Amino acid sequence: MIVQLALVANGYRDPHNYFAFQPFNESSTYAVELVRVLPDGERVTVPYGRWEGYDWDELIGWRALQGPWRQRHAFSGVDAVVDFLDNALDWMADHAPNATETLYLEATVTYYRNARGPSVTVIRSHDRELGGT
Amino acid sequence: MTAPVSAATAAATADWPTRCRRWLDEVFDEPASVRAVAVVRIVLGPSVIWHLRPFLANALDGVTYLDVFQQKWWPWVPNAPAGLYVALLWIGVAAAVLMTVGLWSRTATWVVLAVVAYNFFLSETHFRHNRAFLLILLAGVALCDNGRVLSLDARRRRPPDDRGLLWPVWLLRFEAAAIYFASGFSKLIDPDWVGGRVMHDRTLRYQDDARDVLGDTLGDPILEVLTARAFQWVLSPVAVATELFIAFGIWFRRTRLAAVWVAVAFHVGIEVSAQVEVFSVIAIGALAIWAVPSTRDRTLVTPSRWVRWFDWMARFDITVAPGASWRMVDRDGTVLEGREARRFVRTRLPATFLFSRFWRYR
Repeated sequence: MIVQLALVANGYRDPHNYFAFQPFNESSTYAVELVRVLPDGERVTVPYGRWEGYDWDELIGWRALQGPWRQRHAFSGVDAVVDFLDNALDWMADHAPNATETLYLEATVTYYRNARGPSVTVIRSHDRELGGT
Repeated sequence: MTAPVSAATAAATADWPTRCRRWLDEVFDEPASVRAVAVVRIVLGPSVIWHLRPFLANALDGVTYLDVFQQKWWPWVPNAPAGLYVALLWIGVAAAVLMTVGLWSRTATWVVLAVVAYNFFLSETHFRHNRAFLLILLAGVALCDNGRVLSLDARRRRPPDDRGLLWPVWLLRFEAAAIYFASGFSKLIDPDWVGGRVMHDRTLRYQDDARDVLGDTLGDPILEVLTARAFQWVLSPVAVATELFIAFGIWFRRTRLAAVWVAVAFHVGIEVSAQVEVFSVIAIGALAIWAVPSTRDRTLVTPSRWVRWFDWMARFDITVAPGASWRMVDRDGTVLEGREARRFVRTRLPATFLFSRFWRYR
């Protein structure tokens, strides 16, 4: 019982509200502009999440984050989505071994929290190890 | 037949520490009917299969959690190879079937809990509130001796009675109430929610989906009301109050039936308006845990056989007497006859409760 109460209280801090039971907490929406950054600093747009033979939707394979370049409902709220996107960028960076030109991925997230906004936040993946660079 | 759980009259006149001690004895030491837990077990079995269905469908297409984005809860949770993972899912399905029919009930429930928990904790992307609730319910049911009644186990080796220790039920009651409270309170302190902004925005966004389902003729007038800002300004605080009423009202005998009635209507409303996977079914099923854990402690003489078929919670010790008039003796000795008895019976049967005058017989 104490653990459950602690989890409920933690829900006001945790972006995901795990075990804090706050369903339908927001009506927020978001959209992502994805770019890949090359070693020389050049920024290349990733249209529809497709780059160097990879496909965001196919690799991520999770409905909540699919097609984020169009305005989407923020599953479990904006903060949860931004956290998932942040990790998803790292995951993408780690699971695209043949993308030899990309140093890291960057996402500009434009969101409307409960129809207020827009607000913008920028997140990026970790740097990738590029062969020979 | 099992005895009533507590001597209500004596308890009511005792002082506070004595009542606390009695309650703790009741929770931890006094066995009582586990029939309600068995009902929840039966509901959870198909719910688990429905919950595992999308994971199995993906597996049949050759896709497992290893092929998609995974955000680990804890790095020490081991990743099972794809073949083993799929085998575990099927084991979960088989155990859920055994759980429903009550064959090796308790072991099956533990196996189901292990499979559902493992799948849940493989990735944070597997988290949903309804799945967390499913996990909690499975844990509570597994902790109870849930195969003593309404099971093949009970048919094979008939136990002396349907009683077991009920502390897990109290834990489940706390969890269930905490969920309604947490949901309601978080919305109450959010001005956007309680003020109708969240609901209004969501309704605007999904109105086309609703129109597709309802059609233009029916959809237009309904959506005109639903998308009105003023309507959501009224509906949102009502929704918050509903959750808080269930969270508190369900604890007290005088308000419990009303809270259960409201809870069923609330979950049906959610099921119609949103996609919540197994939440509605398990939440309505879990309302069984609020039944007083004693069985067949009211006597009923009835000319009708249908009562026996619908008395899933074993509220009555039934004698079917063709040609006799209805007569029911309540726990406290109150006798109801004829139409009054019939009406009372309807308030205590899960299938007829929703349409009964439950407020007259609390």
